[in-house]
Amino acid sequence: MGDIEGSPGSSMHGVTGKEQTFAFSVASPTVPTDTTANFALPVDSEHKAKVFKIFSFANPHMRTFHLSWISFFTCFVSTFAAAPLVPIIRDNLNLTKSDIGNAGVASVSGSIFSRLVMGAVCDLLGPRYGCAFLIMLSAPTVFCMSFVNSAGGYLAVRFMIGFSLATFVSCQYWMSTMFNSKIIGLVNGTAAGWGNMGGGATQLVMPLVYELIKRAGSTSFSAWRIAFFFPGWLHVITGIMVLTLGQDLPDGNLGALKKKGDVAKDKFSKVLWYAVTNYRTWIFVLLYGYSMGVELSTDNVIAEYFYDRFDLKLHTAGVIAATFGMANLVARPFGGYSSDVAARYFGMRGRLWVLWILQTLGGVFCIWLGRANSLPLAVTAMILFSLGAQAACGATFGIIPFISRRSLGIISGLTGAGGNFGSGLTQLVFFSSSSLSTAAGLSWMGVMICGCTLPVALVYFPQWGGMFFPASKDIVKSTEESYYASEWSEEEKQKGMHQQSLKFAENSRSERGNRIAAAPTPPSTTPNRV
Amino acid sequence: MAARALLLASLVLSCFLLPACYGTVLFSSLQRTLEVTASPTSGQVLKGGVDKITVTWGLNQTVAAGTDSTYKTIKVKLCYAPISQVDRGWRKTVDNLKKDRTCQHKIVARPYNAANSTAQSHEWTVERDVPTATYFVRAYAYDADEKVVAYGQTTDARKTTNLFRVQAISGRHVTMDTCSICFSVFSVVSLFGFFYNEKRKAKRPQ
Repeated sequence: MGDIEGSPGSSMHGVTGKEQTFAFSVASPTVPTDTTANFALPVDSEHKAKVFKIFSFANPHMRTFHLSWISFFTCFVSTFAAAPLVPIIRDNLNLTKSDIGNAGVASVSGSIFSRLVMGAVCDLLGPRYGCAFLIMLSAPTVFCMSFVNSAGGYLAVRFMIGFSLATFVSCQYWMSTMFNSKIIGLVNGTAAGWGNMGGGATQLVMPLVYELIKRAGSTSFSAWRIAFFFPGWLHVITGIMVLTLGQDLPDGNLGALKKKGDVAKDKFSKVLWYAVTNYRTWIFVLLYGYSMGVELSTDNVIAEYFYDRFDLKLHTAGVIAATFGMANLVARPFGGYSSDVAARYFGMRGRLWVLWILQTLGGVFCIWLGRANSLPLAVTAMILFSLGAQAACGATFGIIPFISRRSLGIISGLTGAGGNFGSGLTQLVFFSSSSLSTAAGLSWMGVMICGCTLPVALVYFPQWGGMFFPASKDIVKSTEESYYASEWSEEEKQKGMHQQSLKFAENSRSERGNRIAAAPTPPSTTPNRV
Repeated sequence: MAARALLLASLVLSCFLLPACYGTVLFSSLQRTLEVTASPTSGQVLKGGVDKITVTWGLNQTVAAGTDSTYKTIKVKLCYAPISQVDRGWRKTVDNLKKDRTCQHKIVARPYNAANSTAQSHEWTVERDVPTATYFVRAYAYDADEKVVAYGQTTDARKTTNLFRVQAISGRHVTMDTCSICFSVFSVVSLFGFFYNEKRKAKRPQ
């Protein structure tokens, strides 16, 4: 089979893009069920689940799903826990606007590095311990918030808490060990979306916890510090749940994930090379920085914005800010779904157009948000902006699996890092200086979203076309096989290392849209070995 | 989605419909007719929650008689000096009093009797949610419609003289710090405890 556990990109292997966003199961003839296994869900030959039953907690598959997304959710809660309390924190610590902005940048920057390391950690310790280690070792950083006395301390603690966002990697990795590759796209997408909701939930919960503590008799400057014990305990509790209830593999916990020795592991340097030299990678890194990136930035600034601009109470501002993040529940899957629907009729060109439309609309509503002078208009603009940006995130990952088959994991990782980088950059440029009001910052961020989404027009797949150009007429170049096989050198092709890519290429013919019947068979394709 | 937006919008709108709807009053249109003094000397540092400020206010005797006929309430507030407003847009001074954020802490509100011309005073303990900053004291006079009609302050027009500082409480307690450390240690210890325990169990012969 040749799919090595833990090798770069292996968590996304098998994702063809053909699966509907709402495909909840894999039919039996497609992937044979192992009838000797005794699990609550039908499983394949590796004992990975073939069915995704959202509301089940059956051990081990669905339990893993829930532990995974809850741990990712917890880390989002703690990373953005300071955001709705900034109006109190800024008075207690005597912060200036640039202090607040820099801390916001720091909160999303740490995870750029921690996500890169997390893959290796999961390889070494397994996803269960990877997740537990990260969550429980970052719990002290959350508790540290109560010690903070200055702007520098505030920035340092937010930076350290931000490392915990690497649970995204352990989350996706863990689920790739539990779910069949044909439904892994949906499973991972749902987990990512529900995890992201933590950024919204925290805006709602932290002000409430703060109010409760104040009602119990604390001063405001103590209450916000005590409020941080809530995300801290969440870390500890979730970590213990992961350790006691979770397991690495469907068949139990192993000391080490065995590496299947049939096929030589792909060289990291090659995989990196093909990721980095594909121009589409960088276009999507930029784009994701302006869909996911602006979502993270907005999570950091929106509560304070509503509190200051419209004179709201802290928890009212929190409720409004929460709806921004909570829209992830439906918006992100909706983006993936629209991408799939467009692909059915127009193939990859449809996916590119859907992404451009969703992300640009998000940008337009962001411009409106900054300019809205009345509360109802601002809330409406914010909700529409959130739908646009988050749906664009979902639509982006509808396209990413097709950029490369060999380097898929690294490209996904780079794109994710681009999201955090974009967030840090927008916060630095638009929300850290007093010369630009937050309202103006939001509008300019919207303009930048629209501008940075334009490069999607440059994405061109010879076999499928781009936004403005149809597929190539060249008989060799216009095949999926030639595109995906071009990532392998002749030597590697001789060794047969590109077989998975060819299989993927065949499955990806659906990206032609309604023109599937017209695919010519190129003469030089290496015949598939049986 | 549209229904949810509408519901949220109407909910928020109903919170927003405050009974008092002020007309636009500009600070620059107000007359400085009140004489306000505060006990802190220039540059003095007061401790939050501990030290007290005694504020005295009354009509400036040099203004024409009858100027204060409309004054019904006096509200005395603690206001940020320009140095504490730098790079902090949430404390910005704006001429439109509805949007002005200079004076965010109320010291006292007292009804005003034009017939009784003696100065009134009040002793106020600096509250524990007053942040560390440089301040002055300002008093606003309101008429019967709750509109601001006059003011007075302890500093000059450019807000540079006679400013005092407040050193706020930190908000930290020993109990809080101890709990923080305990929970952190618990987290780390239980993690490694679990890890080594499982490793030991795995090594034990089956």
